[in-house]
Amino acid sequence: MSKDDLIEGTAMARALDDFPVPGLNAGFADRVLIAAQGRAMPLPPLRRANGGGGAAGRRWRLSQRFVIATLGFGALATAAAATGVLERFDLPVPSPARVWASMTGNAAPAQTAAAPVTAPVIAQGVASSDAVPVVIDGLIDTPEELGEAFRRIDAVREGREAARRQAIDARIERAIERRRAAGLPLPTPEQQARLRERIGAGQAQRQRLANERVNARRAELQSKVENGEALTRENVLRPLREDAAAPALGAQLARLRQMTPQQRRVALRQLPPAQRRILIGQLRARRGAAALPAPELAPLQSDNQPATIATEENSVSPEDAPATTVEQLPPGSAF
Amino acid sequence: MHAGANHGDDAALAARLAARDPAALREAIALHADALNRIAYRMTGDAHEAEDIVQDALLRLWDHAPAIAARHPVGSQAAGALRLGGWLNRVATNLAIDRLRRARRLSGGEVPECEDEAPLADAIMEAGERDRSARSLIAALPERQRAAIVLTYYEELSNAAAAETLDMNIKAFESLLLRARTALRRAFNGLAQGGVDEQG
Repeated sequence: MSKDDLIEGTAMARALDDFPVPGLNAGFADRVLIAAQGRAMPLPPLRRANGGGGAAGRRWRLSQRFVIATLGFGALATAAAATGVLERFDLPVPSPARVWASMTGNAAPAQTAAAPVTAPVIAQGVASSDAVPVVIDGLIDTPEELGEAFRRIDAVREGREAARRQAIDARIERAIERRRAAGLPLPTPEQQARLRERIGAGQAQRQRLANERVNARRAELQSKVENGEALTRENVLRPLREDAAAPALGAQLARLRQMTPQQRRVALRQLPPAQRRILIGQLRARRGAAALPAPELAPLQSDNQPATIATEENSVSPEDAPATTVEQLPPGSAF
Repeated sequence: MHAGANHGDDAALAARLAARDPAALREAIALHADALNRIAYRMTGDAHEAEDIVQDALLRLWDHAPAIAARHPVGSQAAGALRLGGWLNRVATNLAIDRLRRARRLSGGEVPECEDEAPLADAIMEAGERDRSARSLIAALPERQRAAIVLTYYEELSNAAAAETLDMNIKAFESLLLRARTALRRAFNGLAQGGVDEQG
């Protein structure tokens, strides 16, 4: 069989050509038109079960879910921040002004408890130093320059003191707020006043000890300057303690304070004598500060509730208050 | 033969059909009904069946016109590729194949020959004999082979166009066409042999 079988003129082609087709009946077009008018509109195409299918469809669905999850998480986080839930779990929530400042690069207004106090005091110190035309040029070798250095250091110390006081107030307020939110009994104003008084007394005691050391140190420096000795920055900002291991001693002291008396005794016995003497002196000083009259907070006690505010998280007891102890201060600032 | 050769016109006609313009349907009938009737009649060998197929194909065009017009908007590049004649040929061919298969299933055998029941005059007896011989040659083929012969021989479609009508690739269609010609040749030889035997 080849294509030639169907070439015109062949026997098979002649046989196939004898296949006439009758025409369509008259009125066929009209019948089709009538039938078309009566037909309903076709149904819309069925939607594919897999939503479009293929990798593109899968990507689209994944992207859609990711966007929905992101938006949902954002909405929940926004709601949590707006209702203050995050702050109850000590998660910091930056203010809009701060976020905006971080984006634009402008300095944000200080929002923390310590910053607003420290900054103005330091600024004030700088401003007042501008009023006094004393310029520390090179080494400190005159009493005026030394006085100017003392004045600047005092300005910084005052700022720190104010920051500590404000931090204590803020922590007390937060503790009260937490108790209020938890439905616990709140301290009376008298109890609060006694607590603040106790904390203030601890602070004053600590300040007095620090001032004594500072004054002794300053007298020593003044005598050096009056004798014609030039002081460097390191001389003035030298750590208060003679040993360089003051921070380590502070940490060790903190560990000792957490021990039982028996454990503390054993631990002290294992230390070198010089270090043991220093630590025992520190512990005695603390014990003396804590021996100040404490307010009576018994009315707050109940069967299953903490006795005082100080037992809450971020306690505001004198020992743990943010009023940093002398040995916890940075070496340069513990003047 | 292919009235819808002007492809841009086909897109415009589809748009008018989508807009439910009866004049457009009448125009489509005028353009394509005869070709569809030829295909359907030579596939089925029955004038009434062929007319039903043509009507069904045209109504399907009417139904699908909105989707076709949406895929081939007037003035677009896709509009130039639209060929309503080819679409209708495919629909009519598939409808004919479906009817042939359904008839075979119902009868349990070959499609019965549809003899003309009217008494034939002597003048047309000879033509009728020839007609029956050609019809029997085509009817001896399976449905798809029959469609291949009808489309390429009678409608003079190219192999590519016929393959597209049957929704096949060109290689598969050429193989189908080769088998169809072989079967046709065999049937013709058998018919010729029978004629010789009768004369003898």
